[in-house]
Amino acid sequence: MFKFFSACRKESLILLRDMAGLILLFVMPMIMVVILALVQEKGWSSITKDPSIPVLLVDEDQDTLGAKIEQGLKNSNIFKIYTSVDGKKLTRDLAREKIARGEYNVGVIIPKGATQIIRHKVQIMVTQIVSGIMMPVDNPFLDLQSNDSVNISVYFDPGIKGTFKYAFMATMKEYSMFIESSMIFGSFNSELKKMFPQYRPPKMDYKETVYFSEIFPAGKDEKALPSTTQHNVPAWALFAMFFIVIPMSGSMIKEREEGSLIRIYTMPVSYFTIFMAKVAVYTVVCVIQFILMMLAGRFVLPLANIAPLTIGSNYAGILLMMIASSLAALGFAIAVGTIARTHQQAASFGVVSVVVFTALGGLWVPVYFMPEVMRTIATFSPLNWGHVGFIDLFLRQATIIDVLPQILKLLGFFIVTISIALFYRRVNSPLNS
Amino acid sequence: MSEKAIIEIRDLVKIYKGSEEPAINGISLDIYPGEIFGLLGPNGAGKTTTISILCGLFRATKGSVRIAGLDIHSNLNGIKQIIGVVPQDVALYPTLSAWENLTFFGNMYGLKGQHLREKIAEGFSVFGLEKHANKKIADCSGGIKRRINLIAGLLHDPRIIFLDEPTVGIDVQSRVVILDYLKELNKKGTTVIYTSHYMEEAEKLCTRVAIIDRGSVISMGNPRELLADHPEFKDLENIFLHLTGKDLRD
Repeated sequence: MFKFFSACRKESLILLRDMAGLILLFVMPMIMVVILALVQEKGWSSITKDPSIPVLLVDEDQDTLGAKIEQGLKNSNIFKIYTSVDGKKLTRDLAREKIARGEYNVGVIIPKGATQIIRHKVQIMVTQIVSGIMMPVDNPFLDLQSNDSVNISVYFDPGIKGTFKYAFMATMKEYSMFIESSMIFGSFNSELKKMFPQYRPPKMDYKETVYFSEIFPAGKDEKALPSTTQHNVPAWALFAMFFIVIPMSGSMIKEREEGSLIRIYTMPVSYFTIFMAKVAVYTVVCVIQFILMMLAGRFVLPLANIAPLTIGSNYAGILLMMIASSLAALGFAIAVGTIARTHQQAASFGVVSVVVFTALGGLWVPVYFMPEVMRTIATFSPLNWGHVGFIDLFLRQATIIDVLPQILKLLGFFIVTISIALFYRRVNSPLNS
Repeated sequence: MSEKAIIEIRDLVKIYKGSEEPAINGISLDIYPGEIFGLLGPNGAGKTTTISILCGLFRATKGSVRIAGLDIHSNLNGIKQIIGVVPQDVALYPTLSAWENLTFFGNMYGLKGQHLREKIAEGFSVFGLEKHANKKIADCSGGIKRRINLIAGLLHDPRIIFLDEPTVGIDVQSRVVILDYLKELNKKGTTVIYTSHYMEEAEKLCTRVAIIDRGSVISMGNPRELLADHPEFKDLENIFLHLTGKDLRD
């Protein structure tokens, strides 16, 4: 154990002397978490009050439909509505030009006479219903029909994400249906008033009778909300943790190139001792890295009006997950550091594979958005195991038993990668050269 | 010599993976306790390969090696306790200070506490490095690095020291200090096995030399005996050139 602790001390000193490496290990991931959380905030947030997605609105209708759509978009608290740009009132052509240039993402054109067309169609419908009551037989109004339709054009920036487009269109359809319903009620009232002069129309305050409550079941505590923070902090903390492949493999290759490893081979100490000392020191690094990122999620992100990270109360579970995730990352780094012959090989393979693990693991695009095949593949990414485990602990009040499968998978990954490294080293040892 | 050899090498062959030519081709020799034994040879002769096998860095393709009666295949860890190795290249951690490097390597030999501190201080004193103790290796000159590299292999008072070209690329002053220290150690009973390209240095330092070429020992003996066997040459360098030829080597 004495040699192990001495090797730990040596490894710590080397790490502490490498200022650039320390910045890479601790500061960069924190910056990354904050920036990515800020960038992705809009997509995830259900609690933000800061409308920021710009929408160009050209209201050629200048009637109820245009006003209602404008009001609806404003009330959504997601969109910021522009009816003029650069001091010019927006026209259909100007909106098209601005979106084509990529200056804005969405433009809505409500055509002239749109409200009139809806009103006319509603009137025909109401007349047919009311006359049907008054003249059940030989009703001349039953043959009335209107073939006119309202075509609201929505311009999208070609670079916009499909998911955003679908969400926007769904919102627009919801508004137009709501407006149509309001008009039907209005028309009914006015027709009834014509038929029965003593009729007193009720105050028009149409409210939805079907509405949806957002509930996020999370065991004992259902207050935890899915947010950009809850997704991003564990996701990018794991991403950064796996980026340990760069400094760790670099340290291993450097040790080989500098010859100090050759000297160690001639000494009465097992390579395993030296190797485990590296694992121990870098595990502490990974855990500190993760804690720093959680602190950033808790205290820095709220400064940018982003929901703070909530981590639940299973601290022992979180610590176990952190250690298991660190070991998985280190096992991978050691395998890369053992097999790669040069820094360039280790860096390029390491970076690309971590990015692939991240993408596959659902850290960029949630797993449920992926095609079925990819969803199956995602279950093989160690970053996915870690992410699922942390989300369970942070949001679902999971116990250690609940996250044990993730912990075991991560530890299994560590054992497999370490075994690969040791086997490769045995086969390619200078002893067998 | 009637004394039992401390290093016994028999029919040693080393063929590297992917190579057809043997780097060492049937070397047999005995080295006795208290010798300063020089392995001399041109580039690619097999000196470093031989030393690497003796230190346990490489495994021989064929043949046997016994060090202090221990078989290198079955008792490598036992051998590592009694040997000290000074590699050809400086093998130190550049971001650690001289003291930190030596503390770590001393610990790996099982040294600790006051005893280790005394051994390091002694090494610094012998090689005039006291004021460089806390300097990072990266900031040290080549000569200082070489001296620290040497101390790192000697901290645990090994019975046998292997030095692979320890004086290459350093100034005369550093070379003299290193060679004097090796002689001092040898007087105390340490066996020194050393490779070099400097024939004059080997002639002065070694009690015996083996000239190796193309993986085989082509001549061996006390430098004075070799000179006596070749009266037509005035020094070891000319004997060496006579035996190995003047062709340039890879």
